[in-house]
Amino acid sequence: MFTIDNVLRSFVELTKPLGLNYSFMLDASERGAFVHGMGVTLELCAWLIPCSLLVGVLIAAALTSSYKPLVLVARSFVELTRNTPTLVQIYCAFLVMNMVITQSLKGITSNPLTSFMWVVIVISLHKGVFHAEAIRAGIEAVPSITLDAAKLLGFSRRQTLFEVQLPLAFRFALPVLVNNMIDLVKMTALASAIAVGDVTYESIMIWSQRDNVLELLLLILLFFGLLTWLVSVAGRWLEQHYRMPGYGQ
Amino acid sequence: MGSNSIFGYLWAWLPALLRGLWVNIEISVLAMLLGTMLGLVIGAVSLSQARGLRMLTRWYVLLFRNAPILILIYFTTYVFPFELNIFSWTFPFPDWIKVVIGLGLPASANVAEIFRGAVQSIPSTQWESAQSLAFTRAQIFRIIVLPQCIRRMMPAWMNLYAGITMSTSLASLVGVHDVVEMATIASNTVARTDFTILIYFTLLLLFFMYCYPIARLTRSLEKKHAN
Amino acid sequence: MRTNTDSIAQSRAFHQDRPLVQLRNVHLAFGANQVLKGIDMDIRKGQAVSIVGPSGSGKSTILRCITGLVHPEQGEIYVGGVDVRALTSEQALIQLRKNIGFVFQQYNLFPHLTVLQNLTVAPIKVAGVSPEQAQATAYELLRKVRLAGKEHAYPGQLSGGQQQRVAIARALAMRPDLILFDEVTSALDPETVGEVLTVISDLVSDGMTCVLVTHEMRFAEEVSDEVYFTEAGRIVESGPPEQIFHAPQSERTRTFLQRALGKTGVEHPPTMDVLPAIDFKGIQFSY
Repeated sequence: MFTIDNVLRSFVELTKPLGLNYSFMLDASERGAFVHGMGVTLELCAWLIPCSLLVGVLIAAALTSSYKPLVLVARSFVELTRNTPTLVQIYCAFLVMNMVITQSLKGITSNPLTSFMWVVIVISLHKGVFHAEAIRAGIEAVPSITLDAAKLLGFSRRQTLFEVQLPLAFRFALPVLVNNMIDLVKMTALASAIAVGDVTYESIMIWSQRDNVLELLLLILLFFGLLTWLVSVAGRWLEQHYRMPGYGQ
Repeated sequence: MGSNSIFGYLWAWLPALLRGLWVNIEISVLAMLLGTMLGLVIGAVSLSQARGLRMLTRWYVLLFRNAPILILIYFTTYVFPFELNIFSWTFPFPDWIKVVIGLGLPASANVAEIFRGAVQSIPSTQWESAQSLAFTRAQIFRIIVLPQCIRRMMPAWMNLYAGITMSTSLASLVGVHDVVEMATIASNTVARTDFTILIYFTLLLLFFMYCYPIARLTRSLEKKHAN
Repeated sequence: MRTNTDSIAQSRAFHQDRPLVQLRNVHLAFGANQVLKGIDMDIRKGQAVSIVGPSGSGKSTILRCITGLVHPEQGEIYVGGVDVRALTSEQALIQLRKNIGFVFQQYNLFPHLTVLQNLTVAPIKVAGVSPEQAQATAYELLRKVRLAGKEHAYPGQLSGGQQQRVAIARALAMRPDLILFDEVTSALDPETVGEVLTVISDLVSDGMTCVLVTHEMRFAEEVSDEVYFTEAGRIVESGPPEQIFHAPQSERTRTFLQRALGKTGVEHPPTMDVLPAIDFKGIQFSY
């Protein structure tokens, strides 16, 4: 009979001769914790993909604006974020800024920001910077004579931006953006460093009790492999949908 | 604690921090060395005529590019044995070497791809003209393709090194005594909010001062190559 | 069939006698480079005017002045009685450009849009034409440029000559009073030049006011009412094609034409109807 219980039991039996101990799957609370961890990872990805894109668009706009001080601020932020480790950024955000916020809000209200939110904020900013570079490169890759053609057809600057420049910039930047999203998915593992209950953190909890590190790491690798595969499939669909047949020949 | 300036504390802890940073740099250099040597071999295999070998390398690259680096580090740290027993000699297998391997493997996958991309970016007209001059495949590689490849690989390779250096911060999560761990120890020892803020931003600054020049150099190399 | 767009020829009680485009003493410099050194030009409604001359003589710059893309530091430009130099707001320039069609050397079609979308996007977004009307016009124009059936192709899938014909249709879709052609055949393979020239000569026969910057001397002679020869930013000579091509009054005009057309007067490279058809049947290849 194909109940979940039976499937898991057969799996545990099948892997025993390989030297792998998957018996944690038969324990409801540990199994539940692992599944919950997978859910948290998925939740992180669901938040990070749109938030990082939004940050990317905003920073790209700042980088290509004609207001010089804004460009300078944006550029400095980009260089600082790109050249420091994400883990240290997470620590600075969670251990430092969170503490500052908690202390300054003391007596007034409790700190509403959870560690989950901090992970979303920091990784969105970190990857958003990489998205912005890709989008900026895409915008600059639009030939100026194509923009001239729009101008001479009577398009206003706003119309040129939305009808010609942005659609083309998006198509140019898409492959890099998809690659960035794959990196983004992998980066969610860092959430475990500040005890956000993602699949990595839950696995650490389980293996510290059961000492089945290898088994859990294999599962995690499969899980991330599946996630990155899904992202690349979505990416390929988008590239196909937005392709420009015959372009560049 | 007295009213000692937090900068005074920072000055006192700086040597320890720098020693920790040195551990990060050591790990990054060794990992990059391992990754480059292994990656060049795998890159060469990925260009072979044998379809089976090419597929093997594709799976290798796929595996290491789809796995989070943190997971790979956990893998090499916790799955590898504590010590190696070879011929009745016992070698301790310290954690930081395990981190080197954990970082070197994904680095090798990236180097393989960079190498393959560089070779394939050499226009086929160069291959054809060399072949018409009766060079063997190996000679073409050695004399014509490889020197150009090294130049083309440089920016991406340096970019990879900067990324590996930043990933060494993950070593702190497996108990290696690197600069991140040192900062945490310092922050817990002094136990002052303002010092904690200072030390963590100093940590940020230390990595920045090492990685930013590399990024600038990479970009100037890219510009030179574009011409 | 005119649409509701503001037609230059109808606004401001425009005199039929007054030229549609007037340039008076136009001087323009790019940085230290003086590109135009006093250009005077009159283009009447319904005329086909060609501007010929060596590269770098400022021909394309004249066209860009007319559309307000570049601004001369001295001189006057009037299009339909409107002083182009006085147009400073974006809205005013848009009004001007709605009535002027421009075809580029590099076609500049929008690569992310189909041929049909390329033709309808400006009428819909700029001229406020309804999508159904814009589509109907687009189909009609594609028939006219002999590209019926290519509506859903992307520019990248078309040949250079086909793309250029789409570009002409795109300019026509806005129902302009005037079309400017900036060396539109220079980037094309010799075989496809003919198909584009056919479309342009059809337009001229229909009475469209056309200004052509071109290297195709024979075509310029066939189709123009007036020819301007420019060199080093000045108009050396202007007049009807019979004068410019067969009895040029200036030595410099003669020199340029000799170099451009060759001593025997045959055009380099030859156009489609000069090349005889080659029959490969019966030819044996042997080494």
